[in-house]
Amino acid sequence: MNPATFLLALAAAALAPTAAFAGDVDQADRIGRGAYQAVLGDCAGCHTAPGGAPFAGGAPIATPFGTLIPPNITPDRDTGIGDWSLDDFRSAMTRGVGHDGIRLYPAMPYPNYAKMPEPDIDDLWAFLGTIAPVKNDVDANQLPFPFSIRTLMIGWNLLEFTPKPFAPDAAQSAEWNRGAYLVQGPAHCGACHTPKTIFGGDDAGKALTGASLQGWWAPDITAAPTTGVGSWSKEELVAYLATGVNGHTIASGPMAEAIAASTSKMTPEDLGAIATYLKTLGPSDAARPTPLAASDPAMKHGAAIYVDNCSACHGGRGEGSKDLFPALASSPIVAQADATTLARMVVIGSQGVHTAAKPTTPAMPSLGWRLDDAAVADVLTFVRNSWGNAAARVTPGTVAKLRN
Amino acid sequence: MSTPTSPTRRRVLSTAAWLAASSIPGVAFARSISGALPWDANSAAPPPKLQLNGWFFFTSAEVETVTAIVDRLIPADALSPSGAECGVVVYIDRQMIGPFGRSSRLYTQGPFFLGTPRQGWQSPDTPAQRWRAGVAALERWVAANRTGRRFAALAAEEKDAVLKDVEAGKIDLGAGVDAKAFFALVLQNTMEGFFADPAYGGNKDMASWRMLGFPGARYDYRDHVDKHGQRYPLPPVSITGRPEWAGKVD
Ligand code: HEC
Ligand code: HEC
Ligand code: HEC
Repeated sequence: MNPATFLLALAAAALAPTAAFAGDVDQADRIGRGAYQAVLGDCAGCHTAPGGAPFAGGAPIATPFGTLIPPNITPDRDTGIGDWSLDDFRSAMTRGVGHDGIRLYPAMPYPNYAKMPEPDIDDLWAFLGTIAPVKNDVDANQLPFPFSIRTLMIGWNLLEFTPKPFAPDAAQSAEWNRGAYLVQGPAHCGACHTPKTIFGGDDAGKALTGASLQGWWAPDITAAPTTGVGSWSKEELVAYLATGVNGHTIASGPMAEAIAASTSKMTPEDLGAIATYLKTLGPSDAARPTPLAASDPAMKHGAAIYVDNCSACHGGRGEGSKDLFPALASSPIVAQADATTLARMVVIGSQGVHTAAKPTTPAMPSLGWRLDDAAVADVLTFVRNSWGNAAARVTPGTVAKLRN
Repeated sequence: MSTPTSPTRRRVLSTAAWLAASSIPGVAFARSISGALPWDANSAAPPPKLQLNGWFFFTSAEVETVTAIVDRLIPADALSPSGAECGVVVYIDRQMIGPFGRSSRLYTQGPFFLGTPRQGWQSPDTPAQRWRAGVAALERWVAANRTGRRFAALAAEEKDAVLKDVEAGKIDLGAGVDAKAFFALVLQNTMEGFFADPAYGGNKDMASWRMLGFPGARYDYRDHVDKHGQRYPLPPVSITGRPEWAGKVD
């Protein structure tokens, strides 16, 4: 479905039960625009549980401080946000202060949403009002004491968060500015891709250079040539965000979810803007390590393990097979500072993203039963130092963390 | 190509499914899957973890007899260590307590007739029962006909002669044991133990695979298909790996 028809369909669906709106073209437009804001902000991605009703409450999110559950944001009066006012909503989105002055935790990415202009937030509110109310009581706050004290967030907000609207850079093109706005604002790419300070706020100096995330690693997405997306063309970046698959890689895990629920539904213009912006960031990996010597014991074991376990799919020289098995040669994913995602692929396995454009969902089998921690570490050390890759060796300890 | 008059493949299939569904109570209907294919994290079906020590089926007396038989079928020579050294007895022991030994995946209800050879084994007896009865019958026969000795105590040529007669059905083992069929089972399981993946207890160090030049548990040869007349360069690999993984071969 192209974005325009998607919006029409959403708007039509939203309108159907509420005849009062019929003929109110302005209201229909605003609901349509609001539906697109929900796509940009990926509200459904967090606020919907797997198999659950849309926006009626999501799957638990593990933060370094404990677990939070995205609550029900359907207009149900008892368990959702049906009794909220527009002002409550604006304040939640831009200041992290909800209904009745409740302090929200920044796992709800209000520091990013704060960059959204008020009319967009108002459109989003209009759209949320059209969702069918669902009764589902969610207790968002599962944090242990003392993090469970919401007023702690007053201090956090003072330290880590200054609400300010997006400030365009006049020296850059309109497209670049649109991309910067989306990435820093509603699309909250940094919520996953930017390393956090010890207080859990974004480390602004290292924006988008990669961060650890619920047993995954959200990679460097600056234009750094080896660890970032510097070697990808704009078209390849857009293809990745639109479909989850490009000639280099196949998205999985949290990114697959973000693609399926959000970026694959963005307009081609917005995706182009994001790509244009990302391609101007960095580069952050100027100091590139030299690959380990082939005579290193880990490299020797790794080569044997690779040929026996991985080459059938990823190819004898890591060349992969287009759209089916990602290439491991000259791969930014492979060269990340942190090898959590790599170890996870091998130990637990992984299924590629599902989008309308790329419905195949090729999967990587779990090999944790066949390879012990040292063997997984060695094969990844080998992959990280072969065929144009160069990165630090992987330790068995990194692998052990992924076993349950 | 389907014509309007011939039923399409899909219709035939769905009719068959409907018939099956309506005639068997409680049958599971086919699921239709949309969206992403079903997939589970950590899913794998590894072989059961091999217990290396001890015997789970054979008694120590049986172990002695079976070792003696297996080592005559596969003697140690220039090509390979002996069958027992390769773990064949361990393999058979572990098989006897598994689905094969218990016939748990075979239909074993009557009626039983003497079938043709191609119809396979026709009896409710499981392989485990047949090994137990066969080894006991063999030892009784050897004790009665070879001056009270046990099979393992016979000289190599004597063992071979007895085994050849059992194979040819020239010896009546008594106790309802069909000598020829018993020998066939022994030989079959011995070969399996020798050639199967070491994950199952036999073929220690992939000895038989090294002997044959069989590459083991590999399934992709794209990098080698064009290299005509050249030796395949990679050593064999077991389901559980090969020494080079852990670096024993430095
Ligand atoms: C990364 C996950 C995530 C995304 C994306 C997200 N939220 Fe949230 N949201 C949360 C969490 C977690 C909470 C609970 C925070 C708390 O209780 O302190 C929350 C709370 C809320 C609340 C407060 C509800 C209440 O009952 O107090 C509202 C309203 C809300 N989100 C709206 C949205 C909207 C609209 C969007 C899209 C623009 C969105 N959220 C996107 C995770 C998310
Ligand atoms: C929910 C967390 C999350 C959010 C939000 C998110 N990402 Fe990602 N992203 C990831 C993870 C995790 C990966 C690694 C995926 C993998 O290993 O297949 C990734 C991978 C990527 C990659 C591929 C990099 C490579 O080298 O293969 C790009 C490009 C990317 N993200 C861009 C973005 C952009 C642009 C946004 C905002 C629109 C965004 N991401 C939002 C978690 C996230
Ligand atoms: C049966 C085929 C198969 C085998 C064998 C296999 N993989 Fe994969 N691998 C895949 C598929 C398919 C993906 C994409 C899955 C996804 O995106 O979630 C993948 C993804 C990966 C990735 C992430 C690459 C990226 O760009 O996102 C790495 C790293 C990886 N595999 C390493 C290995 C290693 C190391 C081995 C051997 C220990 C191995 N694979 C064995 C099929 C396989």
